[in-house]
Amino acid sequence: MKLKLIACEVLYREMCALIARSPHQVDLAFLPKGLHDIGSSGMLERLQAAVDGADTPGYDALIMGYALCNNGISGLRARTLPLVIPRGHDCMTLFLGSRSRYQQYFNDNPGTYFLTPGWIERGESAGELRQLSIQNRNGMDLTYDQLVARYGEDNARYLFDELCDQTKHYRQITYINMGLDTDSRFHDLAEARARTNEWKFDAVEGDLSLLERLVFGTWPDTDFLVVPPGHQVVTTYDDRIIAAEAVQE
Amino acid sequence: MEDLKKLYDAILTGNFKIARETTQQALAAGIDPQALVQQQMIPAMDEVGRRYEANEYFVPELLISARAMKASLELIRPLLAAKGAEPAGRVVIGTVKGDLHDIGKNLVAAMLEGAGFEVIDLGVDVSPEKFIAALNERHATLVAMSALLTTTMNSMKTTVEAIKAAGVRQKVKIMIGGAPVTQKYADEIGADGYSNNANAAVALARKLVAA
Repeated sequence: MKLKLIACEVLYREMCALIARSPHQVDLAFLPKGLHDIGSSGMLERLQAAVDGADTPGYDALIMGYALCNNGISGLRARTLPLVIPRGHDCMTLFLGSRSRYQQYFNDNPGTYFLTPGWIERGESAGELRQLSIQNRNGMDLTYDQLVARYGEDNARYLFDELCDQTKHYRQITYINMGLDTDSRFHDLAEARARTNEWKFDAVEGDLSLLERLVFGTWPDTDFLVVPPGHQVVTTYDDRIIAAEAVQE
Repeated sequence: MEDLKKLYDAILTGNFKIARETTQQALAAGIDPQALVQQQMIPAMDEVGRRYEANEYFVPELLISARAMKASLELIRPLLAAKGAEPAGRVVIGTVKGDLHDIGKNLVAAMLEGAGFEVIDLGVDVSPEKFIAALNERHATLVAMSALLTTTMNSMKTTVEAIKAAGVRQKVKIMIGGAPVTQKYADEIGADGYSNNANAAVALARKLVAA
C-alpha cells in the first residue's frame, strides 16, 4: 500500500522510527503540537485542511496520528480516501499502546501529567497557536506582573491562584519511555520537573504496538476506526470513543 | 443614592474592597439589604454578564466581579437569612471523579453565588457518593458537574445513574459543563441542561430551578 500519515508532531520520533520499518510506503506530514489547545472547531478546521490537501490519487488511505484529542477530530470528513484513526481519548493511548492500559493507569493515578520525548522537546505551543489557545483567550497564561498591571495588586494574586497556577491540577508526572531514548536526558528532565513542582514521579515503559499497527496497515475494528469516503467522525461517548457516520449534505 | 452607585460600580469593575466598604456603609445607614441586592448588585452582575457576552469582558473580569459580589453578599446574607429570605436556589457543584481541573467549576460557582444561589462546592475528583450525600444533607435542588477531559467525562454519566439509583433524581435538576461536554452528551446521559460558559450557566440554573 501507499499511505499518507498525518500526525501530530508530538509523535515525531516514534513515527519516524516506525515508518522506517513499515512494509508499506508511508509519506508523512506533521502538524504542530498544541492543536488541542485552540478548541475543537479550530483543531478540526486544520485537520480537515490537512486531510483535504493529502486526499490525492495514488494513496490507498490516509492514516491519522491523532486520537479524539478533546473532540478535535470529531467531525473530520473522509473525502475520496478512507481515513484510519486509532481509537483513543488522546495521545497517551498511542504512547501506552492501548486505551485499556491508559484508562487503568489514569484511574489508578488521578492528576497525572504525562511526559514523553515529544512532550518535552515540543512541549510549549508557540507563536500563532499560543495566541489562539484557550489558555491565552481566557487570560490563563498571564504572568503575575501582567495581572498586576491589568487588575491591580489585590486581584492579581486571586486571579493568579484561580486561573494561572497550573500546578494545582496535577499531583504527579509520569515519564513514558518509548524505548527510543539513547540516553537518560528526557527521563531526567521529567523527573526534575516533578521535583520542581513537588509532585510524585513515576516512569513507565511505552508501547509502540498500536502505532506500529497504524503504520503497518493492520487495522482491526477493535482498535481502529476506518472512516469510509463520504463519512465523518463522530464521538460515541462509550468505549469505542469514535464512530463513522454518513455525511448528510 | 450616589453612594449606592458606588457599590454597583465596584462590582462591575471587580473592586472587592470598595464593594465591601460601600455595603457596610449602606447597611449602617439603614438601607434595606434586599433592595441593595435587587437594585445594585444583581443589576451589576447582569451588566458583567452582558459585557462578557459582548466580548468586552473576559474570564478574569468575570472572576473579579464575582469576587466583589461575594464580598458584599457575605455581609448581606446573614441579614437576609435572619429575615427568612431563601436563596435563589441551593446548588451542589463539583468536578467529577478522576478530574482535578477546577478553573471552570470555580468560575461557575462564583457566578452562581453572585446570582444569589447558595453554592455547596465539593471541590475536585468528586465521587457520585459524595454528590449524593451532599444533595441529601443540604437539600439542594440543583447539581452542577464539570469535567475537562473526555477521559473523565464518563463520570458524569455514572453520577447521573447513581443519583437515579439513590432515588433522588426527581428532587434535583442536573446541569453539566466543561470543554469536551456538548448538549448532545447532556441529552445522552439524561442531564437537564448544558451550558458552554459560566455566564450562560447562571441563566440555565435560574431556568432549571424555576421549572
